[in-house]
Amino acid sequence: MSVGAAPACHGDAPGAPLDRTLADVALIGAPNVGKSTLFNALTGGRRSVGNWPGTTVEVGRAAWSLPGRSVTLLDLPGAYSLDARSPDERLTRELVAGELAAAPPAVVVVVADAANLARSLYLVAQLREASRRVVVALSMLDVAHRRGVTVRPPALAAALGVPVVALDPRRRAGLAPLIEAVAAALAAAPPAARAVPPGMGEDELSRADERFAWIDATLTTATGAVPVRPTATDRVDRWVTAPLAGPLIFLAVMWAVFQLTTTVAVPIQGALGSLFDGPVTTGAERVLTAVGLGGSWVRGFVVDGLIAGVGMVLTFVPLMIIMFALLALLEDSGYLARGAVVADRLLRAVGLPGKAFLPLVVGFGCNVPAISATRVLPGARHRIMTALLVPFTSCSARLTVYVLVAATFFPAHAGSVVFAMYVTSILLILLVGLALRRTLWRTVGTEPFVLDLPAYQRPTLRLTASVTWARVKGFLQTAGGMIVGAVTLVWLLQAIPLRGGAAFGHVAPEDSLFAAVARALAVLFAPLGFGDWHTTGALVVGFVAKEAVISSWAQTYAAADPTGGHAPADLQHHVHAAFAASAGGATAAAACAFLVFLLAYTPCVATVAAQLREIGARWTAFGIGLQLTVAWTLGVAVFHVGRWLA
Amino acid sequence: MPLRRRADAGSGVLATVPPGLPVRLTAVRLGPADRLRLAQLGLRPGAVVTVRQRMAGGARLLGLGTSRIAIDPRTARALAVEDLA
Repeated sequence: MSVGAAPACHGDAPGAPLDRTLADVALIGAPNVGKSTLFNALTGGRRSVGNWPGTTVEVGRAAWSLPGRSVTLLDLPGAYSLDARSPDERLTRELVAGELAAAPPAVVVVVADAANLARSLYLVAQLREASRRVVVALSMLDVAHRRGVTVRPPALAAALGVPVVALDPRRRAGLAPLIEAVAAALAAAPPAARAVPPGMGEDELSRADERFAWIDATLTTATGAVPVRPTATDRVDRWVTAPLAGPLIFLAVMWAVFQLTTTVAVPIQGALGSLFDGPVTTGAERVLTAVGLGGSWVRGFVVDGLIAGVGMVLTFVPLMIIMFALLALLEDSGYLARGAVVADRLLRAVGLPGKAFLPLVVGFGCNVPAISATRVLPGARHRIMTALLVPFTSCSARLTVYVLVAATFFPAHAGSVVFAMYVTSILLILLVGLALRRTLWRTVGTEPFVLDLPAYQRPTLRLTASVTWARVKGFLQTAGGMIVGAVTLVWLLQAIPLRGGAAFGHVAPEDSLFAAVARALAVLFAPLGFGDWHTTGALVVGFVAKEAVISSWAQTYAAADPTGGHAPADLQHHVHAAFAASAGGATAAAACAFLVFLLAYTPCVATVAAQLREIGARWTAFGIGLQLTVAWTLGVAVFHVGRWLA
Repeated sequence: MPLRRRADAGSGVLATVPPGLPVRLTAVRLGPADRLRLAQLGLRPGAVVTVRQRMAGGARLLGLGTSRIAIDPRTARALAVEDLA
């Protein structure tokens, strides 16, 4: 398929004036040629950028000032051609052809990689089959130069029949000539379509042959001889992609990512949490007391709802900054593509590409940045599937509950129980992945794995910082409101009295609407052996944040909260007694069922918010249903098998 | 060399080519869509490629001009090649 197949529909007629007050200019190009970086440099739009094929998975849109006018600049998903195979490529093709708008973009800027010019020019060949205004932005000239490749832009422009501008978007060089070229193209009539020999439009393969011949002829006149010599990238790749050293280096990199996103972020998270629990809360209480609202429900709403919610959102920020900065470094340096190759065979078994390894590893630290990290995957189906699997990775927040439950019910084997939970988590990911592949995505993992590896390059601070900030900002904008809302909702449920005659905001836990909801839900957990409202209530709160499960238990039992530094014996006694009462003698089986349910059900509201942002409401709802179904079914099975064994 | 051409009796497939030996692609034994995709990356009949390295998991790292392309073992078996000599 090509836009040239129907020039009358997709291109402006030669010589026709441009009659649009606000024209669209589209940036297109193969993955990893610096398209999104150029978009950011031109508009300051802070789009997601990175040195990874397919990073641009959304359409960026921003106003772009040209001399005497303003246009809308579109940043389209990466594509080698206008032949739509993936959803991303289909979107690019439809947008370029004008099928999704009133008119196609007035100018198409093809960002071409000077170091791999042949593959970048296929798009130009297709576009030039219609009468379209096309400008070629020639990037990666530094990489081409290092490889001894010479490209002559004037000769290239003459051969292609369109303006060619050399630039370096990473260092913001050559932008002014591009602006001039686009402005001039807008002011001029579109050039005539290139002549295609008769008989070449019969089928796609013969058309492709003709385009490759045209590209070969163009390269002969516009580029120097290509020397085949080892580069620095080749020397690094000898180790990084080697059969033995490659996986070891990959595991070391993943370990470093995991450590940095957990051990480094956790103390900062703790400090931020303490800041909100301490000075911020104290300050707010003083202010509220000063204005006469100290003992009112307003104090509960502000302190236990808003401040607790905002505090929770902000505790994720250091984690997200570290995660996204590491991701940007791995992408921009070119390593992530190698890691994808190394891990490909392992994950292909469950229908995922190798690069899905990264979000899954990060998930064992925290599911929220892991969901965001699915953006490294170029295919929409892979992103959705990975985002559905990430919640089954056992995050560190669940660890505190494992430890308490294991120490309560299996004091002699607590370490083994906690280890078993991580093994169960890995098994769940594999089994659910296989199930999804066999039902929803049967063709995933069957297509050939062919990946263009970018040359290594030194990451730039500006690029890393801008990518990190854009992603953190996006998380805060979409997830922040939902997290604050959910925390406030739980507070509201706990503040509304249903019995006992207490006032709103001053109700005992067992008399609140929260307790009533927990009692109603407890019947669902009776088949799992823990149909007790205290436990159910803790799981409801755990939907907001797993960190809050233990404090919720402590609150409903009016016991000392062990997360606050108190000895857990009091709480353990209450929890053990509740399980013993509800499990009908199979206390240990109920505890195991609880642990499995805790592992598999929805991790937290922040994860849900991140999923909403990355995969949309429909798949997020499916994911929640999947997690609850798996968790409940597994919990029932564990309880009944455990009871039978006992 | 046209995409349409299929090898009748090539000298082997890329999966058996030792690293460092340049060979010429003679056919891509995949479906039309995959053949076109590989062609857009430059992997089409007539192209001269060198297996630069065997990679983890049986993948191959190919050198094609200045490009470096990783392909999985199954695709390496689908690429028919002949010696340059």
